Amino acid sequence: MSDKKPEKKKRLKTAEKLGKLMADYYTESAMVKAQKKPVAWLSSVAPVEVCYTMDVFPIYPENYGTMCAARKLSAEFCAAAEAKGFSTDLCSYALNNLGSIYLNKGPFMGQGLPEPDLLIATEHACLSMAKWWEELSRHFNVPLYIVDAALPVGEDLSPHHINYFAEQLRELMGFVEEHTGNKFDMDKFKEVLGYSDEASKLFLEIGALRKTVPSPISPIEIFTNMFPIVTLAGKKEAVEFYNELYDEISELAKRKEAAVPNEKYRLLWDLFPIWYNLNLFKYIEEKGGVVVADVYATTFGGRVDISRPFEGLAERYVGNPLLSYGVQQKTELYKQMIKEYHVDGVVFHSNRSCRMASMGQYDVKQGIYEDIGIPGAIFESDFVDPRSYSDEQVKDTLDSFFEILESRG
Amino acid sequence: MIADFQERYAKRHELAKRWKKEGKRIFGYFCGYAPEELIDAAGIIPVRILGSLDKVTLADSHLQSFICAFGRSCLDQGLKGTYNYLDGMVTSKTCDIMRNMPGIWSRNIEIPFVGYIGAPAKRTKAARECLIEEFKVLRSKLEEFIGKSIDDDSINQSIETYNESRKLLKELYEIRGKDNSPLSGSDFYHVVRAGFVTPKKEYNKMLSSLKSELISSKSSKDGKVRFLVSGSTFEDVNILKMIEEVGGSIVADDLCIGSRYFWDLVEPASDPIRSLADRYQMRIACPCKHPSEERMERILEEVKKHRVEGVISIVQKYCDTHLFEYPYMKDVLQKNDIPFLYLETEDRLGEEGQFKTRVQAFIEMLR
Ligand code: SF4
Ligand code: SF4
Repeated sequence: MSDKKPEKKKRLKTAEKLGKLMADYYTESAMVKAQKKPVAWLSSVAPVEVCYTMDVFPIYPENYGTMCAARKLSAEFCAAAEAKGFSTDLCSYALNNLGSIYLNKGPFMGQGLPEPDLLIATEHACLSMAKWWEELSRHFNVPLYIVDAALPVGEDLSPHHINYFAEQLRELMGFVEEHTGNKFDMDKFKEVLGYSDEASKLFLEIGALRKTVPSPISPIEIFTNMFPIVTLAGKKEAVEFYNELYDEISELAKRKEAAVPNEKYRLLWDLFPIWYNLNLFKYIEEKGGVVVADVYATTFGGRVDISRPFEGLAERYVGNPLLSYGVQQKTELYKQMIKEYHVDGVVFHSNRSCRMASMGQYDVKQGIYEDIGIPGAIFESDFVDPRSYSDEQVKDTLDSFFEILESRG
Repeated sequence: MIADFQERYAKRHELAKRWKKEGKRIFGYFCGYAPEELIDAAGIIPVRILGSLDKVTLADSHLQSFICAFGRSCLDQGLKGTYNYLDGMVTSKTCDIMRNMPGIWSRNIEIPFVGYIGAPAKRTKAARECLIEEFKVLRSKLEEFIGKSIDDDSINQSIETYNESRKLLKELYEIRGKDNSPLSGSDFYHVVRAGFVTPKKEYNKMLSSLKSELISSKSSKDGKVRFLVSGSTFEDVNILKMIEEVGGSIVADDLCIGSRYFWDLVEPASDPIRSLADRYQMRIACPCKHPSEERMERILEEVKKHRVEGVISIVQKYCDTHLFEYPYMKDVLQKNDIPFLYLETEDRLGEEGQFKTRVQAFIEMLR
């Protein structure tokens, strides 16, 4: 485990605002039950815009998984899920979430999350998601809607891929109507989509500011600033926040002010952070490395064509490179990012929890090296479950990687 | 007779190379969601790529140790050149491993054609329409590849041949489930597996003669404990043999290399693509699909129909979808008072006899 605590003092002025957005959200989440507002749990990359359109309060167990991990609760929770028969080899987002439910515990005032009235999950991030959410549906005995996607791998999307997703979004609105009594309103939907698109646009632009040398924003800052795009996409507050953040970061970029002093090696990061050890980024920074690009964060910023609301929203979710790229396409994407972000090396986090995202990393690494000579390093860990984490091994891998980078000058 | 099936499988690469010399084209597929009829209608012989018990060496530098043994073994064989005779492959979106496989395979192993079906996981109408489109895309890609069109008639003919196979396999499945059946579970596994690597017309003949042979013979399964075996793929038939040797009899299954593959027939209709989509969407669900209730219902039905005394679940380590569904399955079986044993494998029986002890104990408990 890491030796130092993360720095308390925040560099960015907008950090305070972010803190307030989060606090507001969590205060509201503590009250929704009393207010009798319907609560939906959403999986990662589930269309949160549906909730804001239908006046349903959205909760993200995955978000919460990262918090449990950060507060060192995940080991206990994962073990509780295992006691129910879930294999230790399964995704620890899922194990953590299920365990916290079985134990009815969590990082907020010792409590778990407000119980769901509805469950909305996708299965295009991975198949495990559908299975995990089926278990939630059985456990809480509440209705589940799975938004499925028939994504091609290694090829462009065709209209029928979009249509299938869009058709389900229509169904989903009906599903929420049926189970909450709230009525769908097209104008509201378009308003929500407008905010979502605007927030996405800003979020992507902020990400693109990392092309500046030196990078004006650190990876920890990027990851923490994902909260609004994940949870509040479709809310005006998210747009306001990203406007301010954009202004602040672009100002820093203009002044060439580095987020991390001593930026020697610019790195591309694939894919998940280690949520219980974000300090690993600090370790990298001590060695002169700065993560300036990743597809994890940008995944959450897809644009929406509001003139075709359902299809447009479908495109935001299924046009996501993380979810439909085969190794060759991913290699091409990374090569392009390496150029645009002036990257010196690629760090791959082989995440035992996520076979979907980890499979193929060796080939992508090799492909990049063969094609453009940029080296990569792969280390293995689990992103939420710390029980078998070896800080030493991870650091060893990184140390030798920095030696390589150094020798290249 | 069973030896014929065994030999078929053992000699599969040799035979494939011979077909190749005769000028035939061969495609590989990984899982039972690939629409073989379309490949067959294109005049191409589809063969299923399965795991092997050989040591994985080359795949280690491509796949992490936490990828299932099946996936690792398939890629390893590919890298070793075992499947160099393939002209193409068709995979379907089932699990996340299968989704990533075509990209990795085609980056490292030369293969002229790669078809991927982004199969929906749901059983709804919208999902069906989407699958129909996916099949249409595959059809036209195949047409482009062979340089001529694939007409409805030839698809219908393939459907007929495949249906014939399925019917025969279902009959044999029922024979296996009878009291004193001459067909054991491990034998049946050999029979099913041979079908993956034998052109279906020829295979149907083999199945027919096996059927007539079995009808006139008898053997004794008396006094054995009746099991349903469920699970993901595994390569080592010794797992089933061991169950039989210690006093079990496999009378029904929910296996990937078993009834899940052949259970459902294609309903012929005016548009063969629609019929195919219907079948591949609504076939007995594998845990990769949503929802999972129907799979459990079928298991319960089979248990009842074949007077099953216990269920043995054989799951591949790191197989997310099967592992995720296990606690649910356990629950359903417990609620129905059906004894249950869970074995996690890495494609093989393993040396230590651990499984054997556990199966023995399970049988003791049931007797
Ligand atoms: S396996 Fe990967 S994609 Fe699936 S829930 Fe876990 S982290 Fe997400
Ligand atoms: S064994 Fe499981 S994880 Fe492996 S390929 Fe089959 S379904 Fe996928």
